[in-house]
Amino acid sequence: MKNLNTLLAGVFLAVALPFGALVISSQVQLGSLGRAPAEEGGPLFPSREPGLAIQGRAVYVSLGCVSCHTQQVRPAGQGSDIARGYGVRPSVARDYSQQKQVLLGDRRLGPDLANYGVRAKELAAVHEAIKHQGAFEFLYAGDKKQVASERAIALAAYLQSLRQDYSSPEAKLKQ
Amino acid sequence: MTQENRSGRPQGRPPEGDSRLTRTEAQLRGPFLLFFVSAVIWLLAASVLGVIAALQQGSLAAGPFRGCELLTYGHVAAAQRNLFVYGWGFNAFFALNLWLLSQLGRFELRNGWLATLGGAVWNLALTYGVIQIFAGNQGGFGLLEFPREVGPVLAVAFLLAGFWPIVAFARRPTGHTFASQWFVVGASFAFPLTYLLAQLLVLWQPASGVVQAIAHSWFVSNLLLLWFGASALAAVYYFLPKVLGRTISGYYLAPVGFWTFFLFASWTGPSALIGAPVPLWLQSVGVVAGAMLMVPVIVTAINFHGTLSSESGWSRAWNDTTLRFVSFGAVAFTLFGALNAIFGFRGYNAVVRFTSFASGQEQLLTYAFATMVIFGAAYFVLPRLTGSLWPSAKLVHVHFWAAALGAVATAVALLVGGYENGKQLADASVSLAQVAKAGSAWNMVLTVSAVLLLVGHVAFALNAFGMILKSSAPASAGRHD
Ligand code: HEC
Repeated sequence: MKNLNTLLAGVFLAVALPFGALVISSQVQLGSLGRAPAEEGGPLFPSREPGLAIQGRAVYVSLGCVSCHTQQVRPAGQGSDIARGYGVRPSVARDYSQQKQVLLGDRRLGPDLANYGVRAKELAAVHEAIKHQGAFEFLYAGDKKQVASERAIALAAYLQSLRQDYSSPEAKLKQ
Repeated sequence: MTQENRSGRPQGRPPEGDSRLTRTEAQLRGPFLLFFVSAVIWLLAASVLGVIAALQQGSLAAGPFRGCELLTYGHVAAAQRNLFVYGWGFNAFFALNLWLLSQLGRFELRNGWLATLGGAVWNLALTYGVIQIFAGNQGGFGLLEFPREVGPVLAVAFLLAGFWPIVAFARRPTGHTFASQWFVVGASFAFPLTYLLAQLLVLWQPASGVVQAIAHSWFVSNLLLLWFGASALAAVYYFLPKVLGRTISGYYLAPVGFWTFFLFASWTGPSALIGAPVPLWLQSVGVVAGAMLMVPVIVTAINFHGTLSSESGWSRAWNDTTLRFVSFGAVAFTLFGALNAIFGFRGYNAVVRFTSFASGQEQLLTYAFATMVIFGAAYFVLPRLTGSLWPSAKLVHVHFWAAALGAVATAVALLVGGYENGKQLADASVSLAQVAKAGSAWNMVLTVSAVLLLVGHVAFALNAFGMILKSSAPASAGRHD
């Protein structure tokens, strides 16, 4: 291997080709995904994110919640995601098409949150969950840490907005 | 390979270095020590954060600094990983790769101050990035958490610190090359390319939806395999034959190992996305590439373990500080490759997905392999460059045993603990509380080994800094003359 140019050209191709084939081609395949109805004339999903939820997402990112929580439901047969009630159907790419920042995550120290908005019934319970028995109390004020800060309110709105319980063209729900 | 024939040197063996400090070595002493000292400082910082993170992970509600926003787990974990990778791993390999180049070609580091400048900029940008993580300005993608303005600065700093030596290398007069050089050149070129493309896509011109995650997986696999992996392989190819004084067994296979490693590594990324909402063909490509990566893993195994197995190589390696670390690393790399191939497959992957298993694999590569190799190299290089001896043999022992035991215990806890964890999670009738309870013993192991690693690193730092301070070489060394 005398020729350094051969080596550099080879390494260039070894890096650039996968980038093109894996990343650029999936951008071509998935980049145009948008809101769509499951059936002709049906409602469009996924819904647009409310403004407060977008702020909440920023809080979620800045506190590193993604280091313990995923937001993706695997198909039945791969793990027990559906059996555990993390979702009623596997996640599909379209579910994330409205999100500026995709937080799939790769570690589950806590439960998956892809459908937390479906599970969470009351706002008080959401705030209780955010506190994690005290670890995130700094998001709350007052003697008893009952007064939610602006960030906690946004975070709760974000968590409540997380849902993939609609039919989409790639993943229809069984009626 | 004309140069080789002229000197009558057998293939598969690096050139004999001069026993005196050569002019080139004097030239690179300055940048080398800057990189090395920064690396060790970051390693210490990362090790302290590692202990905190291990305690927090075991019990979010009762861990240290609970309720403290600055040191919340999400900040500590991200800062720890970034400091270990960008602070320790990059600085250390800047130093080591530079030194390897100087030993192998007739190499002259002209304008070495450029590399020094790159190192200074790299470390300043890194400091800023880590402060921003603690201040809550982090991104959501692992190893790309720094705020977006840090990316281009790191890229430029890399070009100066990591790529400039390659330019100098390309201009050297001799044509002959050795396996170590291919890996150094490949690593130093693959990383900046990867980093620029990833920055472009993830941060500056955000791709839509899950494509971000695909680009991220590609980035991480390149960083870990093509920078950490390739740089550490370069060092093993150098130190094994050098210290044992013999040729690499099956050296004629080494080019195959090199090319297949670079050919397959960059396709393995999507194997981190199995089961995720990304196209199936993409996941399959990642799995197949992970399996194909066995080819270079086997080639390096033949090269390394073959060399160590003949003429009581293992026992000689055990009795030499450098080789003790380096051969530990070589074994870890083989293990990493095998696990990587097996646990890519969907059935196995489904079990360990979202557990600590993936961290275990990363730890095998970046610590048990790469870091141990760097330690071994430091024991060889530093005495040459400083002209002093290691102050304390006892600290060397403490360092080896703490690092080796810590590395093994961490890997076992993350891998076996992750596998058990995954088995329980796969059974929906086991509640999460039960799963957490069953995992708490492994968390203890992780905490103890984090402390062990910290002890080892402190011992190493004391010894190394003591030696550097004591050294009497002229202060002007490393400047361009
Ligand atoms: C150290 C890991 C860790 C971090 C960091 C973390 N969580 Fe959790 N989270 C958990 C664990 C473990 C549970 C489940 C046990 C419990 O209830 O405490 C949980 C539970 C939850 C739940 C309830 C889920 C359910 O299905 O009931 C929500 C919501 C949640 N976390 C949101 C967050 C948010 C928002 C953040 C960032 C501010 C965050 N988590 C950070 C570990 C973590």
